[in-house]
This record gives sequence, structure tokens and C-alpha cells, in this order.
Amino acid sequence: MIAGKTWREIRMIGLAYILILEMLAIPVLMLWPDIYADLQRSTLFRSLGVDWIKRLGSGISQRNEEVAYLNWCAVMLFFRSTNLVGTAASVLIGTGLFAREREANTLEFLLARPISRSSLLWQKFWPCAVVVTAPIFIVNATAIPWSWQLELDLPKWELFLASLHAAIFALAFLTLTMYVSIIVRVQAHVAAIVGAFAVLQIGMYLTQRIRPYSLFRLVDFDWYAPIMTGNTPAWQMFDPIRSHGFTTYLIAATVLLYLLSWRAIHRTEP
Amino acid sequence: MSDELIRIAGLQKSYDQHEVLHDINLSIHRGQLLGLIGPNGAGKSTLLRCLVGLVQRSGGELSLFGRDPATHSLQIRRQACYLPGETGVYHQMTGARFLKFALGFYAKQSLQLKERLLEQFQLPLNQKVRSYSAGMKQKLALIATLVPDVALYLLDEPDRGLDASVRFYLRDVLRTLKDQGKTIVLSSHHLSEVETLADRLEFLLNGRFVSNERLQRARAQLRRQPRIRLRSGHTLPDGAKLIRTEPDGILVVETDNDPMQWLQSFPQGAVASAEVGVDRLEDLYQLLLQDEVTPHCGVGDQTSAAEVAGGDA
Repeated sequence: MIAGKTWREIRMIGLAYILILEMLAIPVLMLWPDIYADLQRSTLFRSLGVDWIKRLGSGISQRNEEVAYLNWCAVMLFFRSTNLVGTAASVLIGTGLFAREREANTLEFLLARPISRSSLLWQKFWPCAVVVTAPIFIVNATAIPWSWQLELDLPKWELFLASLHAAIFALAFLTLTMYVSIIVRVQAHVAAIVGAFAVLQIGMYLTQRIRPYSLFRLVDFDWYAPIMTGNTPAWQMFDPIRSHGFTTYLIAATVLLYLLSWRAIHRTEP
Repeated sequence: MSDELIRIAGLQKSYDQHEVLHDINLSIHRGQLLGLIGPNGAGKSTLLRCLVGLVQRSGGELSLFGRDPATHSLQIRRQACYLPGETGVYHQMTGARFLKFALGFYAKQSLQLKERLLEQFQLPLNQKVRSYSAGMKQKLALIATLVPDVALYLLDEPDRGLDASVRFYLRDVLRTLKDQGKTIVLSSHHLSEVETLADRLEFLLNGRFVSNERLQRARAQLRRQPRIRLRSGHTLPDGAKLIRTEPDGILVVETDNDPMQWLQSFPQGAVASAEVGVDRLEDLYQLLLQDEVTPHCGVGDQTSAAEVAGGDA
């Protein structure tokens, strides 16, 4: 019942989120032949002094067009679109989950119903989790037929793995926002806190010396490109002992934040 | 099985250093209707929230249906329906959808009562709740609270925002529920209306129950305090002491004898209006607060008591 109500509240945001992701994807995919031709002529990226931009430029301007296109998708579909739009959607959806209920005096109404707080949390969380993650898989899957228009193939399994990693990152941000939404009473304050955190992380990412400490280091080109080109098999994504295991870290963060939310909702008073 | 449905012993609730409820003791039996009266901030809502397990007590013992709300809140909420003091309805829903949502949590509902309330309240259920007035939202919340067929109803100011005719109707509905053996705890600011309905009345002041003896003493004192408005050119006759003059020109006086007899001593046409024997809650609060600060003060100390009450409010 609460899940149905949550779904009705966020379904339009979910639709807008899909459309934005798709509108960001189509031009960069369709313009690829022109962009690739320009990249072949330009030495701009190679002359830049920033390491990660140089690597990115080198990846998308490779002589092998199929590999270059996979790197281009890693940059545009994941590093740009899902990171930014996914994070924004997570924050937008998550801020209102509990803080808005509290502001509208409906949290007390909900907490007084014969439903456990664990169930309340879950029924609010899972529709949001679906709305935040499903568009990432859907939009990235549509990149396959769009690529056929360019007579290029996108590997389905690798695309799925990259989408999975992006979706878990968005989910971690959603869970963080939900946690803050429980412990902070005003929706605007939730948005300010999580928004400031995200901006700080982006700022750290763009600053060379502290870049390794940014959360966005877990979802950048250096991580997506090897997945898309098949150089990071699935086990490496999930094995933090023998490999980076970044996906496992994101899952662990999501689970931890969910448990913190669970504890917070059990302690909260209207 | 014991007939005692709610048992409270030495209940305490504090927020940081501020004690909201202090040593509350209460026992409510099945089928009883308890009226909770008290000024804003007295702790009525906190007490109801403790009962339904929405807030955790700081001390004392509490049980409903033989269970502790701190550990068995869900089981209690399956048998109890709570109406929050602040009307909580979803503005983006239509009235019909809100009712479907709110009532969907309960396995058993009184459809007869639902039809009766819907017919009486005449709510535009197909419209969004955001277009409702405050009174209409309260009516909607009342339907959502009273229609579930549960054993206990905890109602925090159910008459908030309702006009007199609806309040009287609500009183009839609550009486019907009581006759059906339901237990009801309700807080209100309408002393006389709750008094006609409740089996018991508890007056909460600064987080403590006021003893019945103290309450009756204060009410008896109030009954000796008529409120009159004199026509110009007339003064108060002997046999009464002026306590205060209110901004609208009403004189509150205390008589030595029966106020009705005293009023008859006025020359004809001197009194524009008079009110005798009415329990005005604000006056009652002031008297009880005064009693709390200076337990044995005389009539002449009324002004300082009013200041104390005003300062507290």
C-alpha cells in the first residue's frame, strides 16, 4: 500500500529521468562518426597536462574505432550521464521520502498505522530504488539499437555490467539521501546537505591531488572503460581482495546506509 | 482476563532536560471513555503518543492490552486507532483515495459507520484534499480514524477546526462507539462537551494530573466569578470584588454569595450582559496555575496569578 503510494508520487520523476537520460544519449551516439573524425585530426587531448583527461582523450581517439566507440560510450553514457543525472535523481527522489512526510504532518499518521517501521522503510525504499536504477538499464540498452544505426556493436554483457555498477552507485546515493531524510526534519535541509556532499565530491574529483579520495573515483572513465572493453571481467568488479572490487564497496555502502536508515526510523519520533 | 485495558504507572517523558510528563498514573478499563483536558503544552499529545508507541517514555511503566508499547507497538496499533493532533492528510490525493489508503491498513471496518459519517460530513471525495478547508481535512481524518473496527481509539483533539453542529454530531458518534464497548481516550479543549460524554475526566497541567479535589475547588471558585458588562454610568454594587477588567470591557468579579442573587441587586438596565456558572477553560487554567504557584493565595492575588499563567503560556 505504501509502496503503491510511493510509486504514484515518483513515477513522473522516473519518466522525466528516463527522457533526460535518453535525450543525453541519442545526440552523443548519433554524432559519433563526426566526433571520431574530428578526434583523429585533433591533438588537443594529447597535449593536455591533466592525466585523467589525457587518458580519456587517448581512449576515445584510438585508431580502432570499435574500441574508441566503447570508450566513448563509457564516457558519455556512464561517466557523464548516469553519474550526474543518476545522482541528481537519487537526491531529488530521496529528499522527500521522510522529511516531506514530517513537514506535512503525515509521518505521524503513517507511524501510527498498523505497519512495522521496517516495512514502512522497505515499502518506501524499493519503488524509489526501481525508479532510480531501472532507467539506467533501459536507456543504456537502447544504446544498442542506436549503435546499429552507426553499424557499430555494443557488447550486451559488458554494457549490462557497466549499467549494474552505475545503478549501484545511484542506489548508494539514494540510500544516503534516505538516511539524511530520516534524521533531518526539513526537506530543504536534506537537499542542501546531500547536494553539498555531492558537489564537494565532484570538486575533489576535479582536484588532481585529492582526486583519489573522491567517491566519483569509483565511477569514472578509468573504471567504466575497462568494463566496456571487456578488460574488467565481472569477478574483478566484485572481488575486493584480488582486484579493485569497487562494485562490492558500493554494495557494502548501500547496505550500511540502509541499516543506518533502519536504525534511524526505529528511533525517530514524529 | 483483566478488564483493565490501559495501565500507566509513574510514567515520565523528557525531551533533553525538559520534563513533559511527570509521574502519570492511570488505569482505563474496557468500554470507558476518558477525557483528557489541559492547556496547550500540558503533555496531552505526548501522553497519547506514548500510549500508541510513537514516542518512547523516559521512565515508569505502561501497558495496553497487557503489552508494553515500547516493545509491542505494532500489536497495539493493530487494536488501536490514533488520530494525531496535527491533521495529517495527503494533499495530493483525492478524499476517496486517501480514505482507501488510510483504511486499507485495517482488516475490519465498520462500513455502517463509514456510510453514516460520509453522509453527515458531505465531503467532496472526488476532489484533491488540497482544496479542502481545515475543517474538511479534520472530518476526513476522523473518518479514517473512527471507521476501523478496533478496540481502542486514541483521539488527540478530534474536534479541532469543527463547528459546533459537527462537534455535537461527533459526540453522538463517540457515544455510539462507547455503547458498543469500545474504549476511547480523547483530549479536548471543550470541557463542558467532554464532560457530558466522558466516564472520567483527567486534567493535565504542566505534565501532571490535577487531583479531582483541586479541580473541583477551582471550578467552584470559578462559579462564584460572574462575567458582566455594565452599561455606561453604572458601577459595581457592594458584595463583590473586581478581579480584572478584560479588554472588551467585561468585568470579572468574585461574589461573596450566590452570583445569581448578587446580579439581581443591580438596578434595572444596568447590566448589558452577564455570564454565570460557565467553566471557561482559560480561567480554569489560570486558577490551577495560580494554585500551583501559590496554593493558598486569596482572591486579591488574582492579578499576579494571571501574570504567571500568561507568562507560562
